[in-house]
Amino acid sequence: MSNPIEAENLTRTFGDLVAVNSINLTVEEGEVFGFLGPNGAGKSTAVRMLTTLLKPTGGSATVAGFDVASEASMVRKKIGVALQDAAIDPLMTGNELLRLQAVLHGISRHGGKERCAELLERVGLTAAGDKRVGTYSGGMRRRLDLALSLVHQPKVLFLDEPTTGLDPTSRVALWEEVRTLNKEIGTTVFLTTQYLEEADQLAQRIAIIDNGRIVREGTPTKLKSDVGAPTLRVDVVESDYEIAKQVMRKLGEERPARKGRIAIGLDGGTRAITAVLKSLEEQNIEVQHVELDEPSLDDVFADATGRRLEGGADT
Amino acid sequence: MVRQPQAWAPTLFFPLLLAAVYAAQFSKAVNLPEFPYPDVTFLDFILPACVIQGVLFGSTNSATDLAGDIENSFMDRLLSSPVSRSSILIARLSSAFIYGLVQATILIIIFFAFGAELSGGASSALALVFLTSFLSMGVGSFLIAIALRTGSQEVVNSLFPIIFVFIFISSAFFPVELMDGWYGQIAEWNPLTWIIDWTRVITIEGFSWDAFLRASGVIFLISLAGIVTSIHQLKRRLAVAS
Repeated sequence: MSNPIEAENLTRTFGDLVAVNSINLTVEEGEVFGFLGPNGAGKSTAVRMLTTLLKPTGGSATVAGFDVASEASMVRKKIGVALQDAAIDPLMTGNELLRLQAVLHGISRHGGKERCAELLERVGLTAAGDKRVGTYSGGMRRRLDLALSLVHQPKVLFLDEPTTGLDPTSRVALWEEVRTLNKEIGTTVFLTTQYLEEADQLAQRIAIIDNGRIVREGTPTKLKSDVGAPTLRVDVVESDYEIAKQVMRKLGEERPARKGRIAIGLDGGTRAITAVLKSLEEQNIEVQHVELDEPSLDDVFADATGRRLEGGADT
Repeated sequence: MVRQPQAWAPTLFFPLLLAAVYAAQFSKAVNLPEFPYPDVTFLDFILPACVIQGVLFGSTNSATDLAGDIENSFMDRLLSSPVSRSSILIARLSSAFIYGLVQATILIIIFFAFGAELSGGASSALALVFLTSFLSMGVGSFLIAIALRTGSQEVVNSLFPIIFVFIFISSAFFPVELMDGWYGQIAEWNPLTWIIDWTRVITIEGFSWDAFLRASGVIFLISLAGIVTSIHQLKRRLAVAS
């Protein structure tokens, strides 16, 4: 049996713009697959192709064993989709929206009623089920959107930036829901996100996309270990910045860092910190702040693209 | 309709307000020598025009909702489900028809309450309701095509004045016989004039199959053109999807 999601040289162009450039993907059964990248990287375009909302201009892809271009109607029966903008009518109640979704998927009235009640309970919205969606908080709307995408018990669930715009509490609650869903039901989840922590917390495997190309792919542990040594970050007074940079470059490979900060890979591990600080002191450089980080997904992204994903500038 | 009265209430209120103003201003117009129906009240004369005006204003609602669905991605929810593509269009056209039906019924009841009369009784009333609902769907189908083309509620709403102009350059509130120059010529060739005049025959002279079929024929042609345009625009929009 084929994998739930397979893409080969999948491409989408808009005129001269190549939004998704020949990507290859394999998502295995029961896996949470993270598709990580900055805004405009091509994540949503890729999801729209995999969910049959957009025709690929090159390559091919199968979802749940069906070709997204030639067997689109079969794909639609097998997938659940929660897109970036939760398309929810604020005048309808949660219950009504779930029933509508059940009708769209051809579920009988009786079966739909039971399923809707079950899903409202699953996402903790039983008490709010008969209230209009316009009165829901952002977190409640996202949870309802998740429930809507699960009405027909899909084999593959696509979540396109499910926590964008949510407060930290709602974000963690939604993560928990996705984890439970994957663990208890075994639903394969394709999750796009621009949040490193979200990918790290939820995904068993990750693909990093930048400018329409996949630049890294693997488990979070493997991707981080591939970056290599931990990163030493040092802040110095502005007047010492250039000379400190020269000193530190001699002691380790320079890594991307935000403006005003110098970062290097520390092959010698924590013991090498002393040598770095000693060298800086010998040059009379005033050190303001020192930190040592094990590689993060941000380091993986920076290593692959030369840019930071979170709050960083080009190096 | 219950949850969003602001969407339909103005389309009822506005034609009634205009009817009240015209009935007060032009009530003596029926006494003019060339007035085609000297034996009726001006309220009876403008009854079909006001109902048509009301449903035409309301016909924008279905297209506005569709454009809203495209804007807020609800259309994507529909397109990513196994629902038939044609049902998206059929649902919107049905909605325009039913909306017109409810609106026409309410408007006729209000006109009756203010003393308007239909000489053909129930058959004339039913014919009026059917023709206006059918017209609501026909004009609505053009607006639906524009909603599908642009995906913008603003654009659909901006077409409202065009409908207004079409109604005013017709025999809606004054007989063509009393119009002069280019205005009269445009009104004479305005399909709304034909529909209103034949509908007026039904409401003032009594139900007539000849008038009913003529009005239905014009509305059918308008609807056919609108639906063909809508199907073309839907196909165009879906062409980017698998």
